[in-house]
Amino acid sequence: MHKSSLFAQVQAFVRISLAAGFASLCFGGPVATAQEPQGSDLLAISESSPESKLTPEQLDFFESKIRPVLIENCYRCHATSEQSVRGGLSVENRDALRAGGESGAAIVPGDLQNSILWHAINYRDYRMPPRGKLPANVIADFKTWIEMGAPDPRSNAGLVVKSKVTPEDIEAGKSFWAFTQPKKVEPMVEKFQAWGKTQIDRFVASKWEDQGIEPSQDCDPNILVRRLTFDLVGLPPTPEQRSTFLQDWKSSPEEAIERLADELLASKQYGERWGRHWLDVARYAETSGKESDVTFPNAWRYRDYVIDSFQKDKPYDQFLMEQIAGDLLPVSDDEQWNEHLIATGFLAVGPKSLAEQNPRQFQADLIDEQIDTTTRVVLGLSVGCARCHDHKFDPIPQSDYYAIAGIFQSTQTFYGGTRSIRNRQPSDWIRLPVQDPEASKPIMSPEDLAELKKELQERQQELAEARRAQRTGANTPGLNANLLDQIVSQLRARISSVDAAGRPVSVCMGVQDHESARNARVLVRGEIDQPAQEVDRGFVQVLGNLPKQLPANRSGRLELAKWLVSHENPLTARVMVNRIWQHLIGQGIVREPDNFGVSGPGPTHRELLDHLAVDFVEQGWSVKQMIRSIVTSRVYRLSTAYDPGRLESDPANLWIARGNVKRLNAEAIRDAMLTVSGSINLGPPKSSIFASMGSAFMGPNGPQNIPLLLAPGGNNDDRAANIRRLLGGNLRNPAVSLLEVPNYHRSVYLPIGRNNLPRALDVFDFADPNSVTGTREVSNTADQALYMMNNPFVLELSDAFARRVMQSTKDPQGRVDRAFQIAYGRSASIEEMTASLKFVRKAKESQDQVPADEALFKAWSQFCQALMAAAEFRILN
Amino acid sequence: MMFSRRELLRSVSAGFGYLAFAGLSTMQMRRVLGDDQYPATDDASSPRNPLAPKASHFPAKAKHVIFLCMQGGPSHIDTFDYKPKLEADQGKTGRANGAKLMASPWKFHQRGQSGLWMSEVFPELGKHADQMCLIRSMHCDQPIHPRAMTQMHTGNAQFVRPSLGAWTLYGLGTENENLPGFVALNPQAAAAQNYGNAFLPAIYQGTKVGRPQGPRPAMARNLPANNSGSVPDISNPRLNRKSQRSQIDFIQQLNQNKLAVDQVDPNVEGVIESYELAFRMQDALPKLMDLGNESEKTLAMYGINENPTDGFGRQCLMARKFIEAGVRFVELNHGNWDHHQRLRDQLPDKCSEIDKPIAGLLADLQQRGLLDQTLVIWGGEFGRTPDAQNGDGRDHNNKGYTTWMAGGGVRGGVSYGATDDHGREAVEDKCHIHDWHATILHLLGLDHQRLTYRYAGRDFRLTDVYGNVVDRICT
Repeated sequence: MHKSSLFAQVQAFVRISLAAGFASLCFGGPVATAQEPQGSDLLAISESSPESKLTPEQLDFFESKIRPVLIENCYRCHATSEQSVRGGLSVENRDALRAGGESGAAIVPGDLQNSILWHAINYRDYRMPPRGKLPANVIADFKTWIEMGAPDPRSNAGLVVKSKVTPEDIEAGKSFWAFTQPKKVEPMVEKFQAWGKTQIDRFVASKWEDQGIEPSQDCDPNILVRRLTFDLVGLPPTPEQRSTFLQDWKSSPEEAIERLADELLASKQYGERWGRHWLDVARYAETSGKESDVTFPNAWRYRDYVIDSFQKDKPYDQFLMEQIAGDLLPVSDDEQWNEHLIATGFLAVGPKSLAEQNPRQFQADLIDEQIDTTTRVVLGLSVGCARCHDHKFDPIPQSDYYAIAGIFQSTQTFYGGTRSIRNRQPSDWIRLPVQDPEASKPIMSPEDLAELKKELQERQQELAEARRAQRTGANTPGLNANLLDQIVSQLRARISSVDAAGRPVSVCMGVQDHESARNARVLVRGEIDQPAQEVDRGFVQVLGNLPKQLPANRSGRLELAKWLVSHENPLTARVMVNRIWQHLIGQGIVREPDNFGVSGPGPTHRELLDHLAVDFVEQGWSVKQMIRSIVTSRVYRLSTAYDPGRLESDPANLWIARGNVKRLNAEAIRDAMLTVSGSINLGPPKSSIFASMGSAFMGPNGPQNIPLLLAPGGNNDDRAANIRRLLGGNLRNPAVSLLEVPNYHRSVYLPIGRNNLPRALDVFDFADPNSVTGTREVSNTADQALYMMNNPFVLELSDAFARRVMQSTKDPQGRVDRAFQIAYGRSASIEEMTASLKFVRKAKESQDQVPADEALFKAWSQFCQALMAAAEFRILN
Repeated sequence: MMFSRRELLRSVSAGFGYLAFAGLSTMQMRRVLGDDQYPATDDASSPRNPLAPKASHFPAKAKHVIFLCMQGGPSHIDTFDYKPKLEADQGKTGRANGAKLMASPWKFHQRGQSGLWMSEVFPELGKHADQMCLIRSMHCDQPIHPRAMTQMHTGNAQFVRPSLGAWTLYGLGTENENLPGFVALNPQAAAAQNYGNAFLPAIYQGTKVGRPQGPRPAMARNLPANNSGSVPDISNPRLNRKSQRSQIDFIQQLNQNKLAVDQVDPNVEGVIESYELAFRMQDALPKLMDLGNESEKTLAMYGINENPTDGFGRQCLMARKFIEAGVRFVELNHGNWDHHQRLRDQLPDKCSEIDKPIAGLLADLQQRGLLDQTLVIWGGEFGRTPDAQNGDGRDHNNKGYTTWMAGGGVRGGVSYGATDDHGREAVEDKCHIHDWHATILHLLGLDHQRLTYRYAGRDFRLTDVYGNVVDRICT
């Protein structure tokens, strides 16, 4: 069986197969001593590096005997400047040769036996160059050269990228508001001192006094109950919630809000709503995206972890620690270990260019994605900007980026997949210490397994044959290399999804430390073949509180996580409370929630932001507590009602003297349709459609792959049903068709393919899973209208809604009223009642040759659809 | 505190949709502002509707784009880049390990009055040589298909960025409010980002038409004359037009009621607008895609209803209809140009599928007076090596290849730049894909350095920090 399809064996945390290779291929072998930055701005080539001094004889030997051979025989396939870097090996400069490729160091100076290149040119293991062995005298030259220490002038040793950001700049940068510690101060408020009961109210009101503006009225309780349920659980209020709330309101509005908020925060639906907010910034998806779009059949475990964490109100600092360094935290039992491993999926679920041929480039991009996501999500800083140069706005030198890169390059990322021409960078998965309950039963008999293995062998032979034929131009009917490549890859995936006894293996995505830690080297302009000085692993200097030194034998991820959530970190709490505030109030105190840097807009209410941040930490990083504080403020109750004066004095509502009208997000719109039609399944699904596909490509596969696509693996209750649906349906792309199987679960559980977003979500501005999305855009498009008017699923839900309404009463007026109550939580106005009855009558009469019963039902269905399609359904006042 | 109308509109709609702008009527604005000291300007640059036509940075040479996208990397050496030296060196050792140089199996001729050298594989297209500008010095950074294709569309293979069409729409808006402004015909499957808006507002993304239904998308010829089912939710399976209009009237009545209660609510107005646009689009789009009303003569010009030109001919004709109707940017796709082997058999097949349709498109645009204002672009993600591979195939080559342009603002009958003697690498007047993008925007009246969008604290552009306009190909 192929190496890369093996699952990581977690006996004592994962470590297998590619690990060693990765470590050495990615990050340079012995590196030159870092030079002190000096002199000019950007680059300085130091003359003092010992290794850069070759004797004239050595230089001559290399130039006359070695370099021409490399150019003539190797560059075509092993040079960055040429077509490809096969196997990740470039022979273009000294560092690259010593770093080697996937198999390890190509050259170890003075050590023939450990120099893979030596074995390769002797046609042992590898046979290089493939078109014919080098002449004996040339091979002898290589022996001499390696034994003399492989002197090679093509080196970046001593290259130093000098930053323009000086230590003084960094020191001065610390006075920028976002990089100072949040402090609590008392709000300065006079006129509105008694307006609200909470500190939040007083901070907001103090700005009104500064601006000379007046707040709007409190909103109507009937509106507020809808605001609360959608904001907290993403669903419309149930009739019971509404009536209890309105009843409570009469005696005490404050108590009514507190009671309902507590009920909502305790519900399972809260975790689903707020977990999804986090999944937006965690750029969660279940495929790799980009060109290959390979499935991540285990991503759903991370999704469920996030939902559970919010549901349990896991302290935010712990939540972050688990996602960044869960694998390194102490645990009390296997369940907790499981949870922590799954949490690290945060670092693994990002988009990936799996078609990338150069593993070093792939690794550099992977690390970049991890740095960019982590810093923007947690700190609201785009440290990723410093990959190629110093940060343009913030005092973040390029070396800060590579200090963090050192941490992530000392970390291995596991996301699965099997090797093929579309997936050149597969990895292992992490085997979970606690296997799923169904994992105890074999799903494949030993005979089946043996059969599959036999088939794999045969197909592999055919593939080799087809590839040979391709090279020689021979005609081989029936052997299509590309198709065979896919089949082989699928067979591997299928075989590796079970253990030797045929039992499914429960695995997750995530990260693990490498066996040893390595500092990164600054890359000139971010180019992998331009390594300059090495930098110690570390964090963002301007945020201060740096540890003296990171442990030599660990990546430093644990320290990074601790530093992120330390009380001295000025940003982590601020960024999170701003996100919470934004989701409830409709706009952030800092309006670009992922940009707290110098180029960002800054806070409108700095004292309030700091107050909330300090509170957040003091209250044990409790997200629920923070939500409770905000929704029980009077600010949260402000009416959105239009007032010309208020609009003119503060058109952008910077000072929150009125409520913000919100458009429901895509999930809430769909969930509300499922709810009003009585079709919603509030139970969580077991996994995800993607889990039932196993490792697959979402590209245009063709129907040949159906049985293979449905490889056992993950949790798949209704594989058989899926196959039936598929075989009966449209076969254009089995994987894509699977995604269209009707699903009545809450929208957070819909399958998220980076290139195949569910239409219901995509059309209403779903978060782009290719990047951190702190704020979704809100648009009104014709496509949304087409979806609401014509989509079969919407029509189906309209029917269900109509049935519900028609069953409630026979009286048309009663039905209209009932429908308005269900959809909007209010009665129809007189005009609306008249218009509705007229519409239903007309819609019924316009149908010729349809039995009266059916015509009536269809008319009510059209009416119900209209209620869901109208603006009020998706607008939150 | 005073606000200009524009500022007020912008801030009122903060957090709201884009069509919402259109909804805030002048009368309401006057009510908001209390008087008429801010006269309603209806100039094209006002931010009323983000899809409304916008003024370009400077006078545009072309108003529309038809992008003929060839997937797989068509060989430049066998089509548009004549290399006599390669013929002379046929069979000699090529680059490095023993690969042999392979001359083009096809003859080149000088075509048109300009005498542009073109291969015999494009007999019909050659008749339009005097309108074509061959850019023979193209190069990009990516040697593998998907990444090069993405770089060709977005300028960047590493990050998800808006596509050329989305930038164009963002910069210029569109002219027909009943139709999408950026249409991708027969789009590549699983390549959403190539037509995507990325961080630009969603309204600028490409509308996919005729998504391939078969396993070989590039081969799909699945757009029947009256095909309209391939735009999602474009028609209602239950209601006729009249019944649906009556339902929409009812929806709008509910919306108007809400508006009456809320008084001013750009979002409600945005919703109202979206239903009207959708309803119009529902009519216009299928009509436009129905080729049934075209004359036999026109169909024949494009090679429709004959082999092997039917598939691409339909796309080309549809592109003309979209452009005629005011759509800003149309992209067409044609695939399977990845000739690692059997180039001798396969390249002519591919060429004959597109030769007549493209020639027909150019002729049709010209006879309708549309060619002057339409920029037609042809190209693949890269070219191919002069070395033979697998017998008579050629390998990928991103170091030098050819694309061509014709129409609005482009000098016809010329070639620009050159590759080396064998066509391996661009050496003279090199045109990087960033330069190509800069030039396309330039022809549309847009300065690639000024067409920016602020996202995550930074101004982004199609050409990142690169790109030089190739002035010499412009009239």
